[in-house]
Amino acid sequence: MNLGDAELEAGLQALAAQGVAIRRAGDLFVLADPVDLLDAAALEADLRARGSALSAEVLDQCASTNARLLEAPFVHGRVLACELQTAGRGRRGNGWHARLGASLTFSMAWRIALPPQALGGLTLAVAVACARALEALGFGDVRLKWPNDLMRNGAKLGGILVEVARSAGDRTELVIGVGLNVRADAALQAQVGRPLADLHTGDGTPPSRTALLAGLLRELESALQRYEREGFAAFFKNEWLRRHAYQDRRVRMAVNERESVEGWARDVAEDGALVLQTETGLHRFHAGEVSLREAA
Amino acid sequence: MDLRKLKKLIDLVQESGIAELEVTENDEKVRIVRGGGPQREVYVSAPPVMPAPAALPAAPAAAPAPAPAAEPELPKGHVVKSPMVGTFYRAPSPGAKPFVEVGDAVKVGQTLCIIEAMKLLNEIECDKDGVIKAILIENGQPVEYGEPLFVIE
Repeated sequence: MNLGDAELEAGLQALAAQGVAIRRAGDLFVLADPVDLLDAAALEADLRARGSALSAEVLDQCASTNARLLEAPFVHGRVLACELQTAGRGRRGNGWHARLGASLTFSMAWRIALPPQALGGLTLAVAVACARALEALGFGDVRLKWPNDLMRNGAKLGGILVEVARSAGDRTELVIGVGLNVRADAALQAQVGRPLADLHTGDGTPPSRTALLAGLLRELESALQRYEREGFAAFFKNEWLRRHAYQDRRVRMAVNERESVEGWARDVAEDGALVLQTETGLHRFHAGEVSLREAA
Repeated sequence: MDLRKLKKLIDLVQESGIAELEVTENDEKVRIVRGGGPQREVYVSAPPVMPAPAALPAAPAAAPAPAPAAEPELPKGHVVKSPMVGTFYRAPSPGAKPFVEVGDAVKVGQTLCIIEAMKLLNEIECDKDGVIKAILIENGQPVEYGEPLFVIE
């Protein structure tokens, strides 16, 4: 490859901007850390080998895989993964930070034979599926924070965002987005401004991002089929509670910018609501931000 | 617009659970915004008044559905209802411009609001061309399945 100095310099700067650290050793350029890119062919082979209804595409870069799937004509089972997501969407506009190889972000288009009002527990069921996939890969210490966060060692490992693309009668077309920190180095944590959990710290051998995605898709597909048959109750509810990060701990629920309620996190209802025990009894919450209060 | 007429409009807003109503008659414009809180205070006229902070809800989600006890009198028109239990948001993110305001012309397919429950986001689309006549729920308030959200004329 023949590059002019200016082109080389521009290329190096572009990589640096994406968080790829490159060391210069004489005439050689050496990656400071290996960049673990997704292997679309291996992913596709895994899906076909197990007769999956999913089809996966890998993009180099995009603003948000959820937005991309929401804009495109709906194709059931379409999975869009992205090496570098520049404007990932968290809940209601909260940003999602991504750096090349540091995280895994993907979205799945899925049609479910249930109306929106039956999907209250879906975000929680997706979280359970992610935790089960991670457990199968050797990360059994992943905990769930209501309603859409994956936690490890008390810090956020990932998040889920489910959006309704369309609903008609008893069918709902969903876009399910998942973002996970694979390798959250100090620079990324500084950028985000709070500690992050990842899969490169603590116990367990970090899987390749391709193996991680394949494992997540396998669990997700079977979870969505199961949710359609059984709903949230029994299986997902028990699995969720078993992995609940704040079970029986004192939490604060910020209902909106001004109001909050404190109580003990006791349960999740069959519609996915968090049940808190306050001074006035048991109360269900369908929306809000939960934070841990010092254990009393 | 005479006072009797105004009083009637205020009563309508108070009884019906409408959050915001704007009426234009000739050159006069009246905007009635219902405050939060149990008293259902009513503010009349132009300068947008901040609703009184709602009392701290002991149990917002457990409160009985604000379902029509005595059939609320909705303004005439097409009613857009909530397809699920959740929280009603008028804007795509906190502090952003609301999707629609009373008086806006809207088209089929246009996003009117977001209903969120357990971080599942449902953008509610307009299913009839027209003009937003009333917004029945305040931003950030819980809604029940089938609860009227907007009236379009």
